[in-house]
Amino acid sequence: MFSKSRQPYNTSRFQIDEANIVKNFTTSLAYLKNIFLLCSVKYFLKDMNKNDVLENLRDIKQMMEKSSRFQAINGVSIIIVGIYACIASAVACYLIGGADWLPFLPKNDQILHLNTPTRIRWAVILAAGLFLLSFFTVTAMAHAKAKRHQLRFEVDKRLLQMIFNFLLPLGVGAVLCTALILQGHYGLTSSVMLLFYGLALVNCQHYTYPSLRFLGYGEILLGIIDCFSIHHALLFWFLGFGVLHILFGILYTLKYDRKK
Amino acid sequence: MIDELNGFNKAFESKARLGIMSILMANESADFTTLKSLLGLTDGNLAGHTRNLEELGFIQSEKRFIGRKPNTTFSITEAGRSAFTAHIAALETFLKNNS
Repeated sequence: MFSKSRQPYNTSRFQIDEANIVKNFTTSLAYLKNIFLLCSVKYFLKDMNKNDVLENLRDIKQMMEKSSRFQAINGVSIIIVGIYACIASAVACYLIGGADWLPFLPKNDQILHLNTPTRIRWAVILAAGLFLLSFFTVTAMAHAKAKRHQLRFEVDKRLLQMIFNFLLPLGVGAVLCTALILQGHYGLTSSVMLLFYGLALVNCQHYTYPSLRFLGYGEILLGIIDCFSIHHALLFWFLGFGVLHILFGILYTLKYDRKK
Repeated sequence: MIDELNGFNKAFESKARLGIMSILMANESADFTTLKSLLGLTDGNLAGHTRNLEELGFIQSEKRFIGRKPNTTFSITEAGRSAFTAHIAALETFLKNNS
């Protein structure tokens, strides 16, 4: 390319000749212009290449993320789960503490109320129903999000692994909770729930957005504090499953769902 | 400019192959239909690319039957892993030299 364009301007044409001085000046100007054009083309090519390489690297990263992480979790569904939990904790407060709507004051008769079998049964049914409702909501909204953004939503090995890794700590926690309730250690059930739910979230961080683990850390922290405080079980349950979900859901929506 | 491009692996020039390699780098293994839906390729196209990569020794395939349906899973080999890492390193040095 370079040599081709240089050939017409051989040096003989540049020898200074008084008769041709104006012509020579114009040819040398044309020569300079050619050099300038060549340089700019070279820079342009280099720039194109750089952009290509950048795009290549971006594609690789995107494909790795897309293939290995479940990206369809909807931030709004996390907020909705938090709202469910707030309502459920109010209902639980009614169940445990009777019609007294001052939820977070330590009361001795809460323990007495929980000891009656019907109230326990209703509390367990409430918790199980809440879990199923939340699970259904998150799945349905994830499905809708996947459809909207053409994300992958297939029951493949990866998704099953994620669900297994989420349900394993949760299942162990549920068994432990059942054992605690059967033996009458009601005080620890909320902290066990928080701890194992937090562990479940941390456990599946490699299968979805990694920032989900921060919600898990928050739950674990609340669970640990809950272990050592007496009479505030429902307050911590409300903070962990209600408030924390709503806060994290808002942050999550701002971070991941807005830019798409 | 041409000297810098020498480090790039010719096998990874097409977008589809780059995609296959990056999926297999990030996952333990992936089956044919997953690759197809992720990359948006046709059956024949994907089969050609995977066969080529397999001949180069970068990926390996395992064929088996689930019920009566044939199922092919692909995974990356050691050679493929090192070649891909070298390719990415070449891309990055190219970027560093030209920024």
